[in-house]
Order: sequence, then C-alpha cells, then structure tokens
Amino acid sequence: MSVSRADVERVAALAELAVAPGDLAELTAQMDRIVGFVAQLSALGDLSIGAAEPMGPRETPLRDDIVVPADLVHGPPELAPEFVDGFFVVPKLGAMEEP
Amino acid sequence: MSAREVAVAVGERLAEAERAGLNATLAWSEAALLAEADRVDALPEPGPLHALPVAIKDNIVTTGLPTTCGSRILAGYRSPFDATVVDRLHAAGAMVACKTNLDEFAMGSSTEHSAYGRVRHPMDPSRVPGGSSGGSAALVASGAVPMALGSETGGSVRQPASFCGVVGVKPTYGRVSRYGLVAFGSSLDCVSVFARTVGDAARVLRVIAGPDPRDATTLAAPPIAPLRSGATLSGTTIGVPREYFPGDLDRGVRAGCDAALARMRELGATIVEVSLPHSSLAVPTYYIIAPAEAAANLARFDGARYGTRAPAAGDVRALYRATRGAGFGAEVRRRILVGTYVLSAGYYDAYYGHAQAARRRIAGDFSSAFAAGVDLLFAPTTPTTAFKAGEKTGDPVSMYLADVFVCPASLAGLPAMSLPIGRSEGLPVGGQLIAPALAEARMLAAAAALESVLDATGEVR
Amino acid sequence: MTWETVIGLEVHVQLGTRSKMFCGCSAGFGDPPNTNVCPVCLGLPGALPVPNAMAVRLAVRAALALDCSVQAQSVFARKNYFYPDLPKGYQISQFERPLAIRGRLLIESADRGAVAVSIQRLHIEEDAGKLLHDRIPGKTAIDLNRAGIPLAEIVSGPDLRSPAEARAYLTALKQILVYAGVSDCSMEKGSLRVDGNISVRRAGETALGTKTEIKNLNSFANLERALTAERDRQQEVLERGGRVEQVTLLFSAATGEVRPTRSKEASHDYRYFDDPDLPPLVVGSRTLEQIGSELPELPSAKRARLMSSYGLGAYDAGVLVSERPIADYFEAVCREGADPKSAANWIINESGAYPEPAALAQLIGLVAGGTLSHQAAKRIYPELRDGLAPRVVAERLGLLQVRDEVALRGWVDEVIAAHPGEVARYRAGEIRLLAFLTGQVMKRSRGTADPKGAQTMLARQLEGS
Repeated sequence: MSVSRADVERVAALAELAVAPGDLAELTAQMDRIVGFVAQLSALGDLSIGAAEPMGPRETPLRDDIVVPADLVHGPPELAPEFVDGFFVVPKLGAMEEP
Repeated sequence: MSAREVAVAVGERLAEAERAGLNATLAWSEAALLAEADRVDALPEPGPLHALPVAIKDNIVTTGLPTTCGSRILAGYRSPFDATVVDRLHAAGAMVACKTNLDEFAMGSSTEHSAYGRVRHPMDPSRVPGGSSGGSAALVASGAVPMALGSETGGSVRQPASFCGVVGVKPTYGRVSRYGLVAFGSSLDCVSVFARTVGDAARVLRVIAGPDPRDATTLAAPPIAPLRSGATLSGTTIGVPREYFPGDLDRGVRAGCDAALARMRELGATIVEVSLPHSSLAVPTYYIIAPAEAAANLARFDGARYGTRAPAAGDVRALYRATRGAGFGAEVRRRILVGTYVLSAGYYDAYYGHAQAARRRIAGDFSSAFAAGVDLLFAPTTPTTAFKAGEKTGDPVSMYLADVFVCPASLAGLPAMSLPIGRSEGLPVGGQLIAPALAEARMLAAAAALESVLDATGEVR
Repeated sequence: MTWETVIGLEVHVQLGTRSKMFCGCSAGFGDPPNTNVCPVCLGLPGALPVPNAMAVRLAVRAALALDCSVQAQSVFARKNYFYPDLPKGYQISQFERPLAIRGRLLIESADRGAVAVSIQRLHIEEDAGKLLHDRIPGKTAIDLNRAGIPLAEIVSGPDLRSPAEARAYLTALKQILVYAGVSDCSMEKGSLRVDGNISVRRAGETALGTKTEIKNLNSFANLERALTAERDRQQEVLERGGRVEQVTLLFSAATGEVRPTRSKEASHDYRYFDDPDLPPLVVGSRTLEQIGSELPELPSAKRARLMSSYGLGAYDAGVLVSERPIADYFEAVCREGADPKSAANWIINESGAYPEPAALAQLIGLVAGGTLSHQAAKRIYPELRDGLAPRVVAERLGLLQVRDEVALRGWVDEVIAAHPGEVARYRAGEIRLLAFLTGQVMKRSRGTADPKGAQTMLARQLEGS
C-alpha cells in the first residue's frame, strides 16, 4: 500500500493539521517511506490480530466518589490565551458546526 | 555544603554549560535554584536525596519553571501542578536544577528535533548526544549535575546514556508514576533516571518509584530493594541474544561488549546464548503503536485553553489547524499523521492490529528467555557510537533504526539500563542489561558489580 | 401502501455521582463557569484519568435494572475527534467491550400491547463541556464544568414502531433509572438526553431502510413530534420514488420541522483504540451480587404487588408507582392503618407536599368512622402539612361531624323554615329536592353535620306535617 497525496490530505484534516501546499509533496514521500517501512508487519501472515495486551495492572483501580479540591497553583484565567467573564474563548464554530 | 551553596554552584556550572554551547537546558535561573534551596532548608530533617540537584527533562511538568516539551506550541507554558516524580524528589530533599532540552514531545533519537536548537555531545560538539532525552544525558555527562530525570518511550534514556557515557535506567512500566509526564506513547512511556554511577541512579529510582493513586497504570509492587554491595555475579546467568549481535555490528561496540562479557565471567556469571526471534519486528511495531497513541495524546494541543495560539483569521477549525501546523515541528507532524493514518478506518487491522499482535510476540520472547533460566540479558545499547549531527535527519526511517536494540524492552515493558563499558575512538560505548518485570534490584546489583571492575573510559581495543 | 416505522433510541444519562468520572472535581450543576475543573478534566499536559467507583456502581445498577448481561471485564476506549467542548481531543468511552449488553425494557404500546424493547448495550463514558454561542459576540465561550461528568449511554435495538412507542420507551427508561437511584433523568437539566434513529420500510419487509438520526431533542413531547415529522417526511420521499439520505437532523420546536445539520461530513472516523491509560474495568461476581441486592423493587414489580397486596386497580397502582417516593408514601399511609383504596384516592387526587403518613391515615380513619364528613376532611387536609393532628385541626375549625340529634334537629328546623317553597314542592312529589335541602343543612352547620343523619332527619320532618 502506498500513501498518496489524497491520503495525506485526508489524514491531515482528521488531525486538524495545516499542511502548506508547498510541503505536501515532500510530506507525502516521507509518509510513504514510513508507512512502507512499518507495513512489513502486515505482510507477516502468521500473526493473529487481537486485543492489545494491557501493560501495567490487570485491572483498573477505582477512586472513591468524593470531591477533592483541584490543588492548582493557578487556574483557567492564567492558563488561557483568551478568557472572558469566566469562559475560555475561541472563534465561532463555522465549518465545525455539528460534530 | 549547604543547600544554598549547592544551588549557587549548580548555577555556575549551568551558566558554564550554556557558554560552552551545549544547549542542554531550556529553563533555569538563580532565583529558582535559591527557591529550591530554601525549600530543602525548610524540611524538618534531611531526606535520602538531601540537597542533590536533579535536572528534569522538559516534558515533565514543574510549577517552578516553564514546561515546553521542546515545542513552540508550549512556549512559556507554566504548569499549575507538579509531576508526581517532582513531588517525590522534593519530599526526599532534592532540588530541581533546571529543565533540559529534548526532541520535541520526546519524538526523536538525537535531540535534533527540538524547536529550541539541537543539543551538542559534550565530548564532540559535531555529534549528537542521542535522544530524545539528550539534554539530560549531556548535562550529567558534562558534570553540571550529578543526576537527571528523562523519559523513555522507545529507548530515549538508554540510547543517549550510551552515546554520552553515563548510566541510564528505565524501570518496569508502571513502576514510576506518569502523572505529570506529558504523554507521548502512553503504553510505553516511563520516567527514567540518568546518573554517573549505578549507585546514584538506584538512589533516585528508589525515591521516585511506587504506586500513585493519580496514575491508574502504576503497579502495586513492593519497593525496589536498596543496592546490595559486593561485586560478584556468581550464581547469575546472563543471556546474550544473538539477534543483537549481527555480523555487521560496529566493531568498537562489539569489542566493548566482548570485554564486558569477559569481566562478567570473571565475576562468576554463567554466559549463555539465547534467541529473541521476533526482535526484527520491534522497530516497525514501535513506529505504529507510539505514533498512534501520540496522535491522540497530542490532540489536546489546539490553542484553545493553554499554550500558544496562532493568530486566528477564521473559525475554530482555522485556529486549530494554524496553531497545530505552526506549533508542531516536522517530526511531530509526521508522527501525528502516521498515527492518525494507522488508526483510520480501513487500516486499523493491517497496522495497529498487527502491531499489537507483534508486541505480544516480542514480549513473549523475553518471557521465554527468562523462564529458561536466564536471570538477565546483556546486549549492546546502540548499534553505533554517537553519530554526527545531520547524518540521519534526511531519512526518518534511518533515524528510527537507531532504536533497534532499545525498542524491544520498551515494547515488553521490562526494566532495562545502559552503563558505559568503554570508549571506541574516544566515544562512549554503552552496554545494556534487561531484566524480568519488577527485577530492578537484581539488574542494578549486576550493573554495580560490572561497573566496579570495568574501565568505562578506556579504549576497548 | 402501508409503511412500517422503525425507531431506535440512544439515550445518555448523567450518573448521580458527587464527583466526575475520571477526577475528583465536583459534578454539581449550576456553578460559576470553569470552577469545577482540574488538570484531568481540563486536559492539561501530564494529567491522567482514574475512574470513579460510584459511577461504575450506578452504571452496573442501571444495567441490572435493564436486565442486561454485565461483562466481568470491559475496556475504556478513546473516541477521537476535535470539538471545542472536548478538552483532550478525544472522549474516554467504551467501544468494542462495553460494560453491559443484551438487556430489555418492557413497555406498553397503545398499538401492540406489551413490547419487550431490546437494549443492545450500556456503556460508561465522560461528558463534554458546554459551549455558549451568544455569550460573547462573534466568538464561542467554553465552560468545562460539565466536562468529565459520568454518563451511561444506553442504546436500544431498532424495536420501536411508532413515535408514541419511542416516547413510552423513554418514559419507562426514565422511570426505572430514577427508581434505581442512578440519575435524576432531567431533560431540563441535561441529565437525560436522547437521539433518535428512524427509518421506514414497506410493511412486511425485513431489511431496514436508510435511517436518519435526530439529535438534541429537549423534551419528551418534542421527541414524539420530531419522530413524527421525520417519519412523514421519509414516507413522502419514498412514495415519490426518491431515496432517503443518511443525514443527521435537528428538530425545530417552533416550526415543527426537521432539517439537516449544516455539516456535510459523512460518518465520522473516530479511530477508536483501547485507552492505554486505563487497565480493564473488572466487575467481580461478588460485587455484582452486592449491587444487585442494592436494587430497589422496580416499577413493574411494585405495580403488580400493589395490585395484589392492596387490591388496587391497574390504573391507580400505575399512578402510585410513577414515582417511587409516592408509592413508598402510599404504603406508609397503609401501614398506619388507612384503608388502601381511600389512601390511593387521596394521594392520586391531591398534589403538592403530602402530610405525615400517620396524619393522613388518621384523617382517613376519622372520615371512615363518621367523625368527619369528606368535605370537612378536604378542608382539614391542607392544615396537616404543618404537622398538626387531624382531630386537633378539626376541633379548632369546628368541623367535627355532628351527629347529635338535638343539634341536627335545630338545623333541620331552620332550613325547613327558611325554604317554604322547596319544602312545598318536595311534599308535592319533587323528591330530588331532598338533596338540596340536605345541602342547606350542611351549609348552616358549616359542613359539620353528619350528612346521612341530616338527610334522614329532614326526610322524617318533611314527612311529618
């Protein structure tokens, strides 16, 4: 399987990454190289596909349902690039209207 | 020396390292160092790491200094909380010395992919210190600090430790809390330790290790036992995996390993050859799993709530795309795209599904070897000594192949470490020990024994 | 051409926990924006999720109440997409291995009688934040208080055959979840949300038609209206020979119409993979038993028991079980000795805050024993909310029923004297005027006269001369 420009554009859109038109050709070539390299795995037929083997504990620990103060040195107003009246602010949804 | 005196001395050495053009640090200040000293002095009694300065890789969050992950997208970012490992260092009386330079978001094997410039190898500025934790490795190797924290996802502490001639220890996955380590490959990431001696690395590891209720992937295991003294390996069986000694292995690296194995025999170890047959799958497997997890982990960087934001002309989508397109460097963008690609509809089974299966096989190789009576594995850490800057940046895959010997233990979640075993044409050679899960104490003891009889700075041939 | 409508509902309920799903922030409603936040639910670099034990418990309870098979091991997965209310750029949900599968909920369909609606799955996930589009001109405001609140997603099979059945299903689902103490299921507060999937096909066909999805319905009534509008629209398209397109729709309550959302994207590629930050969720058999024993008697069982143990009719029993506190109150009143039928009548016909069970039982007893007329009791009832005993109130208001012959005779005489015309007409044969005259005795006695006794005495006196 080789990676085409259309693939790169599709994936860049999914990842919300702007790719300058001038970079598209080189990026496609690099992606093709990388994906070609890792694709050697899919050629190995004797591997059976299955669920990921979890690293770490066998079962997840659970938290007690109590409210714990956040213990932050500073909060949203200091973190945010734009913060008005208690809200984080971004531009209008526009093209992203409905998820 | 008092904590304040240590702090002042560290400041002087960091300034010197800067003047020498190492570019290993991203954030430090005299004021911050003195604040750390005051904190130590306020402790009721000295802890196990009393007044020790520890450099922190800049993908571990600290409240006292910014955290950039070597990226423009987090330029100037001040975390409102400290990583668990930083809290534990503080509780033990240690001082945060500085934040160190790294490949952006820990993605790289040379620290050439930082938005803030590459780190120079302390012994040869035309060479790389390795990566992604190159800044931490270089700083310890240069003598500016005695120990540092780094992180491993696919060998990012062992590999630069090998290149720089210092000790680098990766614990069992789940041994050390990841709370506060900016996530790259969540099922692989391990906070790890650099030091000049095995003993120092062990001390730091014992302080930072242990379950954390804020990290659901930490293991409830008994603490790592303190390092036993006594330089002997009698009764220990060391396995040597043949796949790590290809015919075309660098002759200096091979000579270093041969010498180390000879020393181990003299210490009483039994050396056996073993096979880890799926080793060659490790790098492609890693470069599917890590980017896939990374693509999701880096989706939070969008300029909406923190970090830098591209000047936005347009809607929210325009903001995201411009911020991420400009804020991430080329290697990070490539990995996000690869990760998104391998998870996307129609490709999941072919790539991610197969990679998970391959990962189980790779882990299975180690289990089988250890089950057959091997206590530890020994192998070279890296296929070569430190390469030249710019040598591998043209082809991403050639950079990935630098991880060939360190990837497998990361995929298997096993504890592994590199220690300097000699020099080849003046450049450090590293040897690697890999242990079964949770057997850090055994691994560190063997490393200490070897360290005590090796001439780590002598030419190997 | 007869068409069959096929509907499935996807319901999200907020689980009634104190803290969020993956962090210790408050799950409270209505707090100032961005005050219930922390590194985890803000999606700050370095933060990690740890699941809430009570959220799991409540989700398991819900699953058991819906007759589902609870999986001993289930897995959290990342659902990846970008949206300003989603801090991490992915939602932690469950995908291939959900908490529970294969349940069912019985509903009463006006058309088909009892229907067992299949529940395909119930899984746990985290809620997103809230966006406000009009708060700041030209921009989007983000409040992350809601981000990370625990949700259970409940997906029905395509088993509903009319908008009315869909509404009945949602009503029954809400009732059972409120009973089980899982959620307050308030559509107004956003703790109950529903999306509907609807398609039509020719009657008799087994294959499913193309379905559309209607999102963001904000009331039970609008659910039914929206599904009705969309059913009609699809039928019309198909009758014209057109094809139904698979789109997502929004309902406008103002116009009663559905319209496609502006996004033209085809189905999303969520790139699900198991969340490496969370080991598998294990529900052991002993925990499962414990949670099962925590389940209260559920609505259908309670209704049946009220009918058989208390002799109530289906309608009355149904009203009493509509909310568990009402049913509990009914039984408490009966335990205090009240006659069940009377208790049911009082409870069903009165609204607002109920008095202490003992007080209502006493009131009912006073009426049954003839000490109070029903009218008088209705006047006393509101006073009982202040905690006073019925007899005390009756005495204070002078409402104790009077049976005393002398008193009754006095009022009867007064009425006869005051209404000569009616009296004459009665004696002339208009016997129904007895009721009017009895009513006059009740008036003069300010409701305290024993109505039966008054009527008997009136009849005797009117017979007399």
